[in-house]
Amino acid sequence: MTHKQPHPDPDMTTFEPKIVAYVCNWCTYLGADLAGTNRLEYPPNVRIIRLPCTGRIDFNLIVKAFETGADAVLVSGCHPGDCHYTSGNYHARRRWTLFRELLDTLGIEMDRIHFTWISAAEGRKWQQVITEITEKTRQMGPYLAYKRICRVS
Amino acid sequence: MTKQLHKVCRELLESGKVQVIIGYGQKDRGQPPHPVFITSPEEVEGLVWNDQCVANLTTYLTRKEIRALGKPAIIVKGCDARAIVVLQRESQIDRSAMVVIGMACNGVGEPRLAKCAACDAHVPAHVDITIGEAVSEPVDPERRYNDLNVFMTQSTDERMDYWQDELERCVRCYACRQVCPLCYCERCVADKNRPVRFSTAPTLKGNYAWHITRAFHLAGRCIGCDECTRACPAGINLRLLNLSVARAAENAFGYRAGLDPEAEPVIGSFSTQDKESFIK
Amino acid sequence: MSTIIGGQVLRDMVNDWIGDGKRVGGPGYVGNHLILYRWLHRSDELLLESYPRPHNSIKEFLFPSHEKLYHYKIDGQHIELSEAVLPDAQQIIFAARPCDAASLPILDHVFNWDYRDVFYNRRRSLTTVVTLACQDHDAHCFCTSVGGGPDDERGSDAMLFALGQDQYEVRCFTDKGKALFEGKLEESTRVGKVGPGPERRLDLETVREFLKTDFESPLWERQTLRCIGCGACAYNCPTCHCFDITDEKVGSAGVRMRSWDSCQMAMFTVHASGHNPRSRQPQRQRQRIYHKFEIYPSKFGEILCTGCGNCSRVCPVGLGITPVLTAIQEEQAARAGTGAAQEAGREKVDQ
Repeated sequence: MTHKQPHPDPDMTTFEPKIVAYVCNWCTYLGADLAGTNRLEYPPNVRIIRLPCTGRIDFNLIVKAFETGADAVLVSGCHPGDCHYTSGNYHARRRWTLFRELLDTLGIEMDRIHFTWISAAEGRKWQQVITEITEKTRQMGPYLAYKRICRVS
Repeated sequence: MTKQLHKVCRELLESGKVQVIIGYGQKDRGQPPHPVFITSPEEVEGLVWNDQCVANLTTYLTRKEIRALGKPAIIVKGCDARAIVVLQRESQIDRSAMVVIGMACNGVGEPRLAKCAACDAHVPAHVDITIGEAVSEPVDPERRYNDLNVFMTQSTDERMDYWQDELERCVRCYACRQVCPLCYCERCVADKNRPVRFSTAPTLKGNYAWHITRAFHLAGRCIGCDECTRACPAGINLRLLNLSVARAAENAFGYRAGLDPEAEPVIGSFSTQDKESFIK
Repeated sequence: MSTIIGGQVLRDMVNDWIGDGKRVGGPGYVGNHLILYRWLHRSDELLLESYPRPHNSIKEFLFPSHEKLYHYKIDGQHIELSEAVLPDAQQIIFAARPCDAASLPILDHVFNWDYRDVFYNRRRSLTTVVTLACQDHDAHCFCTSVGGGPDDERGSDAMLFALGQDQYEVRCFTDKGKALFEGKLEESTRVGKVGPGPERRLDLETVREFLKTDFESPLWERQTLRCIGCGACAYNCPTCHCFDITDEKVGSAGVRMRSWDSCQMAMFTVHASGHNPRSRQPQRQRQRIYHKFEIYPSKFGEILCTGCGNCSRVCPVGLGITPVLTAIQEEQAARAGTGAAQEAGREKVDQ
């Protein structure tokens, strides 16, 4: 773990960000696999959920991740032009372009939702992305606003 | 205009071109006009048209109870007519099996509805019969999103607080869904219970899931009639959510729902040239 | 002789109650136009002025829109259950309308029938209801048609009557009401008056006669075809009380929750097989009227309606109890007009 200044909030010193990564089966999942086989170390804070294609990633899953306690969400798939199903990632790109605006209007912190293209050959990019997101989320702290929403009362 | 409307509707019914007129009636002058279904020429005098005809009647086009009445003629304003274009594009209606009567409109509601301030459809488009006269003029796109632009000057935290207050009041009566002409699903995702897709309880958690879903299932489809906002008994300004998605569709893809019957829906199509700046 | 109190004293009392940890619910503005009952944080959120009534009802304070029944935790074959914490804070519903308070004795029947509902009853025993007699009514109000009125005492522990100049006459009906105002009231000779209330428009006997014979009448179809099937009427009705039970689960633990439900929704009656005995919207509207004016009265001796008019106030398509019952009356009058019962019908309307 990187060195951090002690934080006045006790929760922050022990805080380990929970990151949910929705990845496509054909590119990003294999990229993450490659990172593993190459022994590239990355933070264990990420929970990988593999789906057939970014085109299959229902926007509700992003909400669901926050509902179940995620502090940040990553959605990642094949680079444009590389989709295993030809165009799933193009559809996804459009959907996210609109969806981000909706979440922004609702006051959801956009710095907690990340989108990347990571190919099967980009193990190192996976390592970098996960490290960056983890550190960024660590600095932002737990997503208390959404946790407050999800307190069932 | 009302006289002409009566004449047109009487002819349609008498000639057998349609079996039912979906229009506005007003039993009590003190109450706003409500939807009526006129099936005989003798009843057409019961149809009214005035600037209180706010309801978007196109929501009835997909209902089985109304479909059972036979081939319809429907009375629409310029904004409502856009819903017919979307319904047709999504294969929910057979456009050739109905008569669409467009009413020239210079705004409805008392006070005037927010949407009317940036209306560019005073004369309905893609209708079969137009009654009355008005002039549709192009509107500066930013005016359409004025309320949203003002709202977005608040910080993220302020917006989060605002929506927590608003959505706290939602009791999940689903008036927003039921009144919407484009929420036509046989079984709404909110009603799926094997398995449950998201919480149906009116907790804040469930309400967020519902309102995000509602707004986004209308992405690139919402025609901005604001019926959801009017119907909400808790006074939640759902219009802001609809506007946010509509603005993104217009700004990023130059698309507005319900204008062009031939246009590819913004969601469900793509271009390899689509631009974005958020995917790393 | 009467007892009166100043508006400022009332507001101070509200602040004191809140300060003491009591929950106070009452009408207040939401935005610029809409008035709703809500839990109050300060007395300045409370609206004491005269206006017809809030667009929702006080049932939320006794039978919340969603409520935890118990918690559960699943661990392999083992399931651990734990009771939900019962509410224990005293609560005061302040400046409710008489048509809201009147719903409580009516709801008491159904929550204490074959099963005594611990949650409702606990809240009921913790609740004191202070109503504000109505000076005003709007086109939707019809309390006088269903046995109520602008100063209907049913369900109220105490009632306020506006005297003008921020003064109120207080009438206490129960010990709870008396205790609340103990030592706060001044003797006076001023007596509060109420407005005339809405004109009596409906005759329930006529309606019930129709309901006895006309379950299959084409009137239902004709009158209620425009219903869009939302739950706005039911959720803002002080007497509607149907609920659904769901599990709110995260991982292997969760909460069993009950939430409001409405007979106007298509899903309400769907069987596990997929069959829906009320498959069409007019059937659901008919059910709502029958439950309120035939089924509930035959079971508990009271109609399930207090005439608040919220159903038509919030209906996006101008339906609700009054438009339907008015149509029933017109139908009955037309029948009477064509048959030998003409005279009898006229007498009935006169009564």
